[in-house]
Amino acid sequence: MPQNYSSGVKPIFCPGCGDFGVYAALTKAFQDLNVDKDNLLVVTGIGCSSSIVQAFGCYGIHSLHGRLLPIAMGAKLANHDLTVVGVGGDGDGYGIGSAHFLHTARRNIDIAYVVMNNETYGLTTGQASPTGLKGYKTKSTPFGVIENPLNPLSVAISAGATYVARGFSGDPMHLAELIKNGITHKGFALIDVYSPCVTFNYLNTYDWFRSRIYKMGADSHNVGDKGAALKKAIEDEETNYEKLPLGLFYKTDKPTYEELDITLQNGPLIKQPMPTEDRIIELLGENR
Amino acid sequence: MTSVSIRIAAANGDGVESSGALLGKVAALYGMEVFGNRGYQSVIRGGHVWNQVRIGDEKLYSYGDKIDILVTLNQDGINNQRGHLSENAIIIYDPSKCNIDGLNGTTYRLIPIPLLDTAVAAGGDPIMRNIVAIGAILKIVGIPMSVFEGVVKKMFSKKGEDVIKSNMKAATDGYNYQGVNRSYDIKGDGKPRYLVEGNVALSLGAYAAGCKYYAAYPMTPASGILHWFAAHTNKGVLYKQTEDEIAAINSTIGAATAGVRAMCGTSGGGFSLMVEALGLSGMTETPIVVVESQRTGPSTGLPTKTEQADLLFVMHASQGEFPRIVMAPRSVEEAFYLTADAFNLADRYQCPVIILMDLFISEHFETVSGFDVDSIKIDRGKIADQGGASGRFKRYELTADGVSPRSMPGTKGMAFIAPSDEHNEYGDIVSDILAGIGEHVAMRVKMHEKRMRKIATMLKNESVFVPVVQNEDAKHFLVTFGSTTAVATEAMLALNKRGLSVGLISFNYLLPLDAKKTKAILNGKHLIDVECNFTAQLAKVIMMETGIEIPDRILKYDGETLDCGEIVDKVTAMLK
Ligand SMILES: Cc1ncc(C[n+]2csc(CCOP(=O)(O)OP(=O)(O)O)c2C)c(N)n1
Ligand code: SF4
Repeated sequence: MPQNYSSGVKPIFCPGCGDFGVYAALTKAFQDLNVDKDNLLVVTGIGCSSSIVQAFGCYGIHSLHGRLLPIAMGAKLANHDLTVVGVGGDGDGYGIGSAHFLHTARRNIDIAYVVMNNETYGLTTGQASPTGLKGYKTKSTPFGVIENPLNPLSVAISAGATYVARGFSGDPMHLAELIKNGITHKGFALIDVYSPCVTFNYLNTYDWFRSRIYKMGADSHNVGDKGAALKKAIEDEETNYEKLPLGLFYKTDKPTYEELDITLQNGPLIKQPMPTEDRIIELLGENR
Repeated sequence: MTSVSIRIAAANGDGVESSGALLGKVAALYGMEVFGNRGYQSVIRGGHVWNQVRIGDEKLYSYGDKIDILVTLNQDGINNQRGHLSENAIIIYDPSKCNIDGLNGTTYRLIPIPLLDTAVAAGGDPIMRNIVAIGAILKIVGIPMSVFEGVVKKMFSKKGEDVIKSNMKAATDGYNYQGVNRSYDIKGDGKPRYLVEGNVALSLGAYAAGCKYYAAYPMTPASGILHWFAAHTNKGVLYKQTEDEIAAINSTIGAATAGVRAMCGTSGGGFSLMVEALGLSGMTETPIVVVESQRTGPSTGLPTKTEQADLLFVMHASQGEFPRIVMAPRSVEEAFYLTADAFNLADRYQCPVIILMDLFISEHFETVSGFDVDSIKIDRGKIADQGGASGRFKRYELTADGVSPRSMPGTKGMAFIAPSDEHNEYGDIVSDILAGIGEHVAMRVKMHEKRMRKIATMLKNESVFVPVVQNEDAKHFLVTFGSTTAVATEAMLALNKRGLSVGLISFNYLLPLDAKKTKAILNGKHLIDVECNFTAQLAKVIMMETGIEIPDRILKYDGETLDCGEIVDKVTAMLK
């Protein structure tokens, strides 16, 4: 039976915000996969984008700014029967949460992570984010950004993510496919999404993106080849952000953390029995 | 009561720690009481380290102020430990390593043993110098070699016959060395005891309570807990080493939300990083247990020394207000029971529970006769697992006792959002566009009051939030908390022997406090505050909660534990 992925609470985005496209794509992905709602846990951080968690009517954690990945990891390790999807902003994931981004990718935990990348801090009214392009003028950078933008795709690939893709919120159908494949992928999947902030980002607008993005064809590169994937991931930098490829950059099959962890060989942690009295006394006996 | 304090001193890497543990285990197996501690620095090789093992025939409350037997493997041992020796201390030393000219004419009994040569002759490994010394100690304190043999056979069972044989030979040579003879009359009662470190007792308590997830980033003195969990990942617990303490606590919250009992642990520095998420646990009413094992000072401080200066910090850490429980075990044994209780309290009141340890209680070892495992009952609190309720599940239902039934992901039809923002009964946030609008302002007030009501419920339903009184009829009372309780007990007993009417009031549960009952206990008594910090933090808490001021104070903040003699002398002077 098809399930309804709506709680009745709408995400609180400005009219026209790119994040609506991500909301549509996530909903479609859940619908197409018919993810069991009772076993679906969406974890978000803090930011405009993170308010999305209220909308789906599934289990959710609306957590702290930047901390959604460790929380999602803890939940997945406690019950790996759950489908765990992390959703957040670029400031959340690539700024304050950057250490967690690297290490969750490295562990290849089976989580899909969708980042609404608007190159801006939306909720705090428009400061530059770690992905903001050089020269970008904001309230916090009135003379333009002078730092190099962080490249989440190449970072994720190098760090050990096993599925790395990029979509555009202006093309929710395409994005939904990338998210779906990310959810079904076994391992850490990053789906970075260009998602314009229509209120604060005057530079990276829908039009700006539309004139630069293109969908990679099946023959664009070998997605299993890490070197080729990295090369593709830095095409934006290499073309001075004139060409922005969309689609799947990298995918490889590697054992997940849950598959390797010795404790989890006996099934989901939550289903494992409480220790018996004999077992406790046996462990105390190690101190004799 | 007869007891003897034995200190083995050497450089890091000389095997001092394992020798202390071995000696302690032998005495424990023989049915003696053991209380041990170690001193070390933040270096892996070199430096000056010691391990002190006190052995007695009755319950011990400290590792002893003075050294009765010093084993020193190098010159540093003599130079650094001299000030700690008792008047007639026995000094066992290796004449090829130590010059004792400075000790001529003292009251000490000097026993030169060629530890290194004897060890090499016995089997070849210089590290076995310690074993030769242990053999000599066994003779001095009256433990038969057969007990030692039993321990060694078990300890080295995997290393093979040769290792066991050479160890036995080294120890026997020490035991029979000329000039070594029995000097103490301590009796073992033949009932073998366990020798347990505070961190291990805590870990066992968590395990017994069904804790399945432990996350940490290594930090002394909490690392013993992670080592225990990591070593037992094949026994149904998952240990996750995270990239930092922020991830440790947040992953703990994730695991707890998913429904398992979860804990994280660190020292003050790591706890500082955890503070924001502590509030998340409070706001989302997610039960977690957090261990904070204190060391000395702010920032990196003295990483291998102890203190009790984080009490006010853990009580108040985080912005905003939310219920939390703070407990501080008073002994190794209590670390087991309190930790098990921590999980029940966390589940019952859906809030963070902080176990305040310190380097001393984390890392010292004591004998315990056993743990009453049967007494550990698991209570997961209010769980909504019926499923299929019509309409949306009210995870944060406004209940009379403040506790709302919680569901776990996977339960049919009981979905909810755990939000760090202020929220309504469903977990929908009322913070963004709704903030400041009439009905939502009212919801904030109601929800905040609901959470805070849990404190009154705890105080009503639990009997633990009051201090423990010993010697009720005494005139004067030492007042202390956590690990300092043990040595304060010893001091009380010593003062009683001197004819002084002294009792003890000790706190193991510190937050919340039943202010009325606590006040009734403290009122009208002459109190002397005893704690290891500069600002008398426990006295401040008592002042805040009861209005009772304690001007008489014994405070220490040099990184070491208080000595019994130190307390006795100061109290005696105060009461003059
Ligand atoms: C520890 C902490 N620091 C700062 C903030 C304030 N803050 C809230 S959202 C945000 C940035 C949001 O940007 P992003 O993550 O890109 O999400 P967006 O709003 O653009 O969707 C900041 C800095 C916070 N909530 N917590
Ligand atoms: S501020 Fe920007 S990112 Fe936030 S909701 Fe509005 S348009 Fe979207």
